[in-house]
Amino acid sequence: MAVEKTKTFVVTRFDPDRDEVPKSQSYEVPVQDDWKVLDALNYIKDHIDPTLSHRWSCRMAVCGSCGMQVDGEPKLTCKEALSDYGDTVEVKPLSNFPVIRDLVVELEGFMEKFQAVKPWIMVAKERAIEEGTYRQSPEELEEFKQFSMCINCMLCYAACPVVSNEPGFLGPAAIALGHRYNQDSRDDGAAERNQVFRGDGGVFACSVANECSEVCPKNVDPSAAIQQAKMLNVLDWAQSFVVKRGEE
Amino acid sequence: MPELQPPHLRPRLDAMKSSRPGPTRTADPRPPDHFPARGNYPVYLLFGVCGGFLLLTSLLVLRGVWALVGGEAAWNAFVASLSHPLYIGYHALALLGVVWFSLRFFSIFPKTQPARIGPVKPPPAPVILAILNGGFAVANALLALILWGELL
Repeated sequence: MAVEKTKTFVVTRFDPDRDEVPKSQSYEVPVQDDWKVLDALNYIKDHIDPTLSHRWSCRMAVCGSCGMQVDGEPKLTCKEALSDYGDTVEVKPLSNFPVIRDLVVELEGFMEKFQAVKPWIMVAKERAIEEGTYRQSPEELEEFKQFSMCINCMLCYAACPVVSNEPGFLGPAAIALGHRYNQDSRDDGAAERNQVFRGDGGVFACSVANECSEVCPKNVDPSAAIQQAKMLNVLDWAQSFVVKRGEE
Repeated sequence: MPELQPPHLRPRLDAMKSSRPGPTRTADPRPPDHFPARGNYPVYLLFGVCGGFLLLTSLLVLRGVWALVGGEAAWNAFVASLSHPLYIGYHALALLGVVWFSLRFFSIFPKTQPARIGPVKPPPAPVILAILNGGFAVANALLALILWGELL
């Protein structure tokens, strides 16, 4: 039987119809020692204050919906054991994002950045069905597999100081995903994506704070993806002086 | 209570904002919490601050070039001024800064290597690190020997 004790949750509240700016509200929650932070938020919603708004879905760190600032750090609340926190836990919406309500942030800007890197396989010439499936060796898969583990939780955006100051910056997750497709042996869209990577707010806007990789709950290392994309773009640029486009 | 941030720590209000306004009013974004005290932020800022050494040392080199143009007496006066304790202190600090900057740069470098560049696979991270740090040490040793007049 799990032990019960009480913790204080200081939660950001914002009602766009009433509040000029967000404010904090405290809740005393009887918690059990095997609870996650999300369990406490759900308890508040179910038993104390049904007006509290927060996003969640899978409860197993797969859907990426429940990202919030917990005691100042971007975390997946379904993954964070309450026992790792003190008697007072502060929960805020993700940093760097406009807040729609309480702990819910606006995703539209993020989705636009995602679409900008064309995160899908682009082929120069579609294969006929009778030619069979696209094949890929384990070695080829290994080149991008790490970057395909992203669950779009946006914690990396909340941790990135460049996102704060350079709104046009594509950001860690979008670049990691674009790089993932550039590294995919089935894809022919690297030239098109690299135009976006080299543009304003592209890979060269990253000044390597590395905090995105620190906070990533899936160990994707988006910072590595960005630095690799920089390196490949520099090589591609240098190569353009030697080999004319279309002659590679 | 509304959270007040000093102006230099406020994020751009358009950070992560959609290009099309949504149906509801939104609260402004906040910058990353505890910036610049938490996690990698202090190291990140220090890394950037090392650029100051580059700027100051470049100005010093320009002053040296200016002294060279001014003739032998001006050059000797410039060289003599470098023995001032403030200059020596600055150079010691700059040396520390540059060494630390290089070590951090080298530590980041292995992960910049894609899994494959053309047909070539990069060597393992420890090997890249050893090559970079070793090369840095050798280059500095050679430079020191040249400046001491032991080589060339």
